[in-house]
Amino acid sequence: MTTHQSNDFVGQRFPRREDQYLLRGEGLYLDDLAEPHNTLHLAFVLSPHAHARILSIDVSEALEVPGVVAVLTGEDFVSLIKPIRPNIEMPTYLYTDRLALALDVVRFVGEQVAVVLAESKYAAHDAIELVQVEYELMPAVVSLEQAISEGSPVVHEHVAGNIAFRGEFASDDFATKHAAGKYRLRERFRHGRVSGSAMEPRGCMAVPIRGEEITFYTSTQIPHIVRTEIAKHVIGCSESALRVVVPEVGGGFGVKAQLYTEELISVALCLKYRRPIKWVQDRREDLLTNTHARDHIYEMEATFDERGVLTSLELELYTNIGAYSSSPFGGTIETTGGARQIVGPYKLPNYAYRCYAVTTNTCASGVYRGVAQPACFMAMEGIMDRIARQLNIDPLEVRLRNIVLPGDMPWVNVLGVRYDTGSYQKCLELARERSGYEDFRRRFPGSRLKDGKYHGIGIGNMVELTGTGAPGWRVRGLQAVSGIDGATIRVEPTGKVSVFVSQANAGQGHFTTFAQIAADHIGVRPEAVTVYEGDTASTPFGTGTFASRSAITGGGAVIQAAEKVSNKIRRLAAHELQVEPNDIVLQDGRARVASDPSRFVDFEKLCLLAYSLGKGALPPTEVYGLEATEYYDPPVVTVANAVHIIEVAIDAIDGRVAIENYYVVHDCGKVINPMIVDGQIHGGIAQGVGEVLMEEIVYDEHGQLINASLLDYLLPTALDVPDLSTLTIDHVETPSIDSLGGFKGVGEGGIIGSVAALTSAIYDALEGIGANVNSVPLRPSHIASLIRAARQSAPDPEATRAKQELTAAH
Amino acid sequence: MKPAKFEYHAPKTLDEAVNLLGRYGEDARILAGGQSLVPLLNFRIFQPQALISINHCAELAYLRVEPDGLVCGALTRQAEAEQSADVQDTCPLLSAALPWIGGVSNRNRGTVCGSLAHADPLAELTAVAMALDARFSIVGTKGRRQASAAEFFLGDLTTCIEPGEMLEAVHFPRSGKNASAAFVEVGNRWHGFAVVGVGAHVECDDVGVFQTVRLSAIGVGSTPVRLTESEKILQGTRGETQALQEACNVAAVDLDPPGGFHADSAYKSGVLGTLVERALNETQALRLQKEAR
Amino acid sequence: MSSIETTTVELVVNGKRYKRQIEPRLLLADFLRHEIGLKGTHIGCAHGVCGACTVQIDDKTARSCLHFAIDVQNSEIKTVESLATPEKLHPIQQAFHESHALQCGFCTPGILMTTEEFLRGNPNPDDDEIRKALCNNMCRCTGYVNIVKAVGLAATSMSAAENE
Repeated sequence: MTTHQSNDFVGQRFPRREDQYLLRGEGLYLDDLAEPHNTLHLAFVLSPHAHARILSIDVSEALEVPGVVAVLTGEDFVSLIKPIRPNIEMPTYLYTDRLALALDVVRFVGEQVAVVLAESKYAAHDAIELVQVEYELMPAVVSLEQAISEGSPVVHEHVAGNIAFRGEFASDDFATKHAAGKYRLRERFRHGRVSGSAMEPRGCMAVPIRGEEITFYTSTQIPHIVRTEIAKHVIGCSESALRVVVPEVGGGFGVKAQLYTEELISVALCLKYRRPIKWVQDRREDLLTNTHARDHIYEMEATFDERGVLTSLELELYTNIGAYSSSPFGGTIETTGGARQIVGPYKLPNYAYRCYAVTTNTCASGVYRGVAQPACFMAMEGIMDRIARQLNIDPLEVRLRNIVLPGDMPWVNVLGVRYDTGSYQKCLELARERSGYEDFRRRFPGSRLKDGKYHGIGIGNMVELTGTGAPGWRVRGLQAVSGIDGATIRVEPTGKVSVFVSQANAGQGHFTTFAQIAADHIGVRPEAVTVYEGDTASTPFGTGTFASRSAITGGGAVIQAAEKVSNKIRRLAAHELQVEPNDIVLQDGRARVASDPSRFVDFEKLCLLAYSLGKGALPPTEVYGLEATEYYDPPVVTVANAVHIIEVAIDAIDGRVAIENYYVVHDCGKVINPMIVDGQIHGGIAQGVGEVLMEEIVYDEHGQLINASLLDYLLPTALDVPDLSTLTIDHVETPSIDSLGGFKGVGEGGIIGSVAALTSAIYDALEGIGANVNSVPLRPSHIASLIRAARQSAPDPEATRAKQELTAAH
Repeated sequence: MKPAKFEYHAPKTLDEAVNLLGRYGEDARILAGGQSLVPLLNFRIFQPQALISINHCAELAYLRVEPDGLVCGALTRQAEAEQSADVQDTCPLLSAALPWIGGVSNRNRGTVCGSLAHADPLAELTAVAMALDARFSIVGTKGRRQASAAEFFLGDLTTCIEPGEMLEAVHFPRSGKNASAAFVEVGNRWHGFAVVGVGAHVECDDVGVFQTVRLSAIGVGSTPVRLTESEKILQGTRGETQALQEACNVAAVDLDPPGGFHADSAYKSGVLGTLVERALNETQALRLQKEAR
Repeated sequence: MSSIETTTVELVVNGKRYKRQIEPRLLLADFLRHEIGLKGTHIGCAHGVCGACTVQIDDKTARSCLHFAIDVQNSEIKTVESLATPEKLHPIQQAFHESHALQCGFCTPGILMTTEEFLRGNPNPDDDEIRKALCNNMCRCTGYVNIVKAVGLAATSMSAAENE
């Protein structure tokens, strides 16, 4: 029961309190933290080979560099750090243990083989060049296609055929139902590999405090998971003597929601040398070693009826997980994600998948914004577009015929996942009306070529599974990801409110949004609330900030704790004012008698009682203190939805894609701060544009990462995103019935819709000339070659269409 | 990474700089704007024993109009040249190309000579120098010498500058009246490194007949390429459609552009003709604009 | 003057003179951050691409990761810390705040310095000009939409203040 019904603050466009110090340049990111005077700096020697045996390491020359204190190798760490084995319990999952520092074998270019400790970072970099490592090259396997082919080299001896995990599912009587499908199409979708590339590279600093106590600063999204994993892996590290503090984080996007070897090594060396240990990577190391993402193959066969309604879908999914299963999510997260989330907002009655996590001699993959959803929705929306083309039905209409309708909600999909609430039909219809979609179809009834450009319009119709609680993680076998989050709320002696949340934001504005929620539920103004995150000494245990969960889980915990605290305030006030607690209303830091508003008592006065200050006495039924700690586990998941519709114009010669119009309608349930929601969508859109048009991590056939710099790994700039006049974002609010605040997540929706819609738009622009767009990224050269090939080979578009219907997977 | 150690020198005169170059030979690098060099130092791809900063050699900081052309001393900043009316008048192709180089914060410090001496095959100014037959004034302990553009650019990041020498200045021939120029590029992002770029410089007589046509491209070879066949076709025409189409069609013949993951060779060849057309159309539009005034 | 070990340098930063003993290879960005404690300038790539390290040298923007402190001794350096006063944000910063033009804030100082130079030279820009001016500063969080808005708002508010 909420005490403050009017929701004065949740739903408002509150400017952020974070801005004052960030704009002044006063935000302290990891590398900005004061370094204690005897700090040792780490630098790592990275393997230049994708797969090799380490024969010898000679550190003698490196030790001669002035300022170098030590150079350590894998052997030194055997007694310091246990092998990293993400705790994943799924049948068929094969563990691929990783040592903090490679010992006998390196398995990807960038794997760490030695570490230098020096008095300065410059000296450490001088030393790493002088470490002599002798390698014996082993055959390397780099691409997904190569890894699953007959006779491929294996990355780990015990992982036959490089299959570290296989999952499968088939709905009842699938084979029969699939065979009975009236119309059929097959397609193969390919999604390239990307790197999250936050603007701030990773770093950490371990500082001995006293005795065995260490404060460990790290640029992370998962402070509690990191703390527990460090305590489990670093020998001699006691969790209760380890405090993890998260400084300002310059972007996370999931890449910083991982446990990294450098973190374990820093704490281990801090214990060993009893000195502060600091490490900050550069951009090249970022691109080489921070977890990558995507790199999937979707082989799909869909059957549908004459109206374009899906009757069955069969998927074979391969994901490239790199050389090691990353921790804590492991190599299965994108594999199971892609296979299970692809169902999307569609009713799909019959579904079967086989999914494979494939190892290669490349950097480990992890979780990056969207986590498989951008890729699997690219594929599913691609299927929708192809159904439409085959039956000559409008693509948006096909989607409308397939979606879960309001009368069906809550919906349990073919995999047993419950969609609590949603606005799929409303959003699609709104999108059709407001995006200029029908106007486009009118403008381009036949040929798409106009003024030397191919015009297309694409649809990204998506749901996003947000706020995953414990049951959701267990289903995916992830034991180290607890799923709960906690909040402690305390009213301080002078009446101000402190909120401690088990989250760690990297720009999402939590210090503002959680203050809005707490203020609403306790009855103070947000200005009276201070939010703390990212400190395991003061914030309760929790899972962290990723997977579009903080509004739900953090918000839910804050609401629960606020309820407890405000109930106590009301009881204390009731005692003071001699009324019943349910006759008390809290607002602006005052407890007022609802039936006689002229009678009230300030929170500060009640604090005198709660903290035994001043003359009053606590009621005999109460205990001291005015705080509560609550944990919240959202039930499984709550499902957000959105539709992105993008109009593009593609130059017929140079293949460049211009975004002419960009429309989004987004439903993330109850909105806490619309300004922040829009900001998340903007950011996701930009990353989606990058993912489809320009971002790709490229390994050569020897496993060398050839574009490990921002000169060659291209991030979108201000000129690549839709401009103000062409971008429209509408909002629908369908509150969640499963989350406490009615909130749904929004962190990832922007990129999921964007990738699907942009790919769909390019497909739409070019399918009329017989070009089949089924992979990303789509650089201008690739698009130009599709156009060239289509123009050369198919003078008769009708013949092309017929050929495509019979074509099997590419 | 942090760069490796080096000895730092900040000579105040050209003579001092040349003496230092003589002393270190190939173990030293000239530091001017640093926009191309310092990234390579930060990657530790280059680890010169010495850096000779010419940023304090006032005598090298000149941008002069001379009777036969425009001279950029080694310290002429790209931004300075970009904003210079003299450059616009005497060397419009240089003006047209400069805005394509990186961003304002790169051009504020980066130098015209520095970009040329670095000879990145995707550097816009290399195409300008090639198109206009720029003359390179190279100075070393053995004295001065001149090199033509064709002699200067030898390959990927390679010029005819020998160890112990530096590029002192570059001379762009003065363009005739009725000159207009344009630079166009395509890349894998709306702003960034070029995949292919074309510079076009056209001088017409009073009735619009092309007297001088210069076309060059970056991205289609390890050095900038003069599109001489295309130039020949356009010479003496008014740039009518047929001549233009012919010139575009032959642009890529005999070229075997290097391919890579950014773009394959076929793309570069395929897009070259279109860029020639776009560049020439732009020069045409500029000419009409000028005439309208 | 030649030196490989440490040498004395004097730099004027935000109007204040600093004298330090440093190696010639110390990047300007590191000088600002670690020698004189101005941490607002951030290093995102060290190859001059992302723009997070943008400062101004003699009122012109420059990538501080591509300069050596020793080489810019005779210049005046300005960093993000020079924009606000203890009491008030600079109008550009205020506009960024009102427009929600920052999320994690890591790229923001570089963008502020770029914007300050841009609006000085072009006080009344249109959106196209703004996007072109911003296209060499990378942001991974905001998708640039609100940054473009903020620069436009700053231009308006600064022109209005001028006219008062």
